[in-house]
Order: sequence, then structure tokens, then C-alpha cells
Amino acid sequence: MSLKKDIRVHTIFVSLVVSIMIILLLSLFLNFELASDTLGTQILNLNSGETETANAVTSVVTYFRGFDTLGEVTILFLSIFGIGLGLEGYKDKLNIFAYENQLLKIAVDVLFPLIIMFGFYIIIHGHLSPGGGFQGGVVIASAFLLMFLAKDDEFSLNHKIISLAEALSGVGFILLGLLGVLLLDRFLGNFLPLGSMGNLFSGGLIPLIYIFVGIKVSAEITALVEYFVRIKDVR
Amino acid sequence: MLDSFNQTPFLHTVITVGSFLILTIGLVGALTKKNLFKIFLSFAIAETALFIYFIGMHFEVGKVAPIVTDEVTNFSLNMVDPVPQAMILTTIVIAIAILALALSFIINYFKLTNNMRVDEMNELGEER
Repeated sequence: MSLKKDIRVHTIFVSLVVSIMIILLLSLFLNFELASDTLGTQILNLNSGETETANAVTSVVTYFRGFDTLGEVTILFLSIFGIGLGLEGYKDKLNIFAYENQLLKIAVDVLFPLIIMFGFYIIIHGHLSPGGGFQGGVVIASAFLLMFLAKDDEFSLNHKIISLAEALSGVGFILLGLLGVLLLDRFLGNFLPLGSMGNLFSGGLIPLIYIFVGIKVSAEITALVEYFVRIKDVR
Repeated sequence: MLDSFNQTPFLHTVITVGSFLILTIGLVGALTKKNLFKIFLSFAIAETALFIYFIGMHFEVGKVAPIVTDEVTNFSLNMVDPVPQAMILTTIVIAIAILALALSFIINYFKLTNNMRVDEMNELGEER
């Protein structure tokens, strides 16, 4: 009886403290006001002269914070690498998500190249419209997920090509950054001609960086999808 | 009447309260569920509250996306801040990486011990 009473007092105390903290935090957050002159406005002013990309988010991701994007891609690579170490031997495993559906099997042959092309469109136009390397890479990986769903054992990835694409795109990213150090003064310096805003060939280095990021992300997410789809042991 | 809803303070209040609700749902799920999959998916739900709050609070009524198109022909003060969106893009990718790594750890743990419940974990040999 006394134990039950202790728990109830404890619960009431904790919920009181939590609700007081939530009210304090909410009052703090509800008084939030946007500053008129932020880093974002400075970057928007810089954007029309220095980078010539139509999409300001892309120029922030790949140019002003390009080094962070390199770290982000490295984190994704390390995570997939850790998953591969844990779930090894996936080549002898069964695909648990595949099911026999003739309609899906026929439709996937039509849809697969279209989705790949759409993904590359998103990657290549990342500096002109919403989208970019990460989004397009995930779209390309979704095409491979569709293949895994439709075709059980008829479709398997060539892991040499995937790891080659991943490694070469990572090396390409770093080489572009080092070329910026050699030709200009800083890592990922924009040494290519800028072009005029709104064209496909504009922004100098930014579309190239996003293409490398897109290839790397699509290869990594595709490998991730295969790790999680082929999970059941063959008995 | 609809104009009174389409005001920046009202939208910011809705976003703040809503993201707090989503954060609460995720944290309550993470603290009360016993299945490891459900715990990590609850953390993923709690992360979306952060994304919504960060992007939503930097929106103001009348501002457009920071992209130059046929209608919006130059970068001006009438655009939302691009920096939070870029940072949230980074955060989403890292969240995916961490969630995938956690799920692979859960699968390996289940293969080793045939157990996926937090309250039945006893690898260190503690007293029940």
C-alpha cells in the first residue's frame, strides 16, 4: 500500500515538473521573433554575384557549407559501412519482401529506367529548382527498391560497380576541393566560370559537387536497401 | 475570416504547439514501449518535430522560397532564410544514417539473443 502511494506521489511530482518546464519552454519559443538582418540575407545578397545559382539552398549546402556536406556524406558512408560489417553474408540470404506478381514484374521494366532518369534530372537540376544530390540519390535508390520488390532472384546488384561508383564520387568531391586549394585560396573554391543565372551550365563548381554527392548517395542508399531486403537466412 | 488565420504569429503558434505535440508523442513512445524497433521509430518521430519547428519558424507570410524563377527574378529580402533549410537537409541525412545503423544493430541483437524486448534484456546478468 505504501509502495503504491510512493509511486503515485512520484508520478504527480514528475508530471508537475515536466508540465512546468513545457510551459516555460513554450513561452520562450512563442516569443520567437525573426531578426531582419541574418546570415541568410547576407548569403542571399552574395548569391547573385558570387555563385550565380538560382537555388539559394543549394549554394548554401554545396558552397558556403560545402565542407559540412563532405562530413555529412562521410557520416552516411560510415553508417552504411557499419551496417555492412554487421549484416555480412547477405549474398546467400533470401529476399523477404519479394512476392509473385506478374503485373508488377512487367510494370517494373517500364518504370525502372523512368525513375532512374527522373532521379538524374533532380540531381542535375539541383542548382536551378528544388532538389539536388541527396533527394535525387534517394529517388534512384527507390528504383532499385522497386526492382527488389518485383524480382526475387533474377535481379542482383553488382557490388563492384556500386562500391566503385561510391569511391570514385567521394574521391571526385575531395579532388574538386583540393583543386580549389591549388587554383584559388581555399577548399572548394569556385575555379570554374560562373555562367549566367538560370542556365543549366551555371554556378561553376556547384552542379559538379551535387552530381558527385548524388552518385554517392544513390550508391549508398541502394546498398542499404539491399542489406535490409536480403535478411533471412537460407535454411 | 480566413485572413486572420493567415498571419505569421498564428502560424508560428500552431507550428510551435504542433511540433511540441509530435515531440511528446515520440518521447512518450520511446519511454513506454518495450520493443526496440518501436523505440527507435519513436525517436525518428521525435526528430520530425525538430525539422518542422526549425523550418516552420523561419517562414513568414508573404515570403517565397529562396529560388529564382520566372516570377521571382532576383534575390531580395522577400525570401525566406535558406540557412535553416540547408541545415535541416544535413540533419535529415544524418537522422537516416543513424536510424539505419540502429536498426541493423537491433537485427544483429535479435539474431544473437532471439529477443527484442528491452525489459527482457539480461546480457549483463543482473537481478530481475
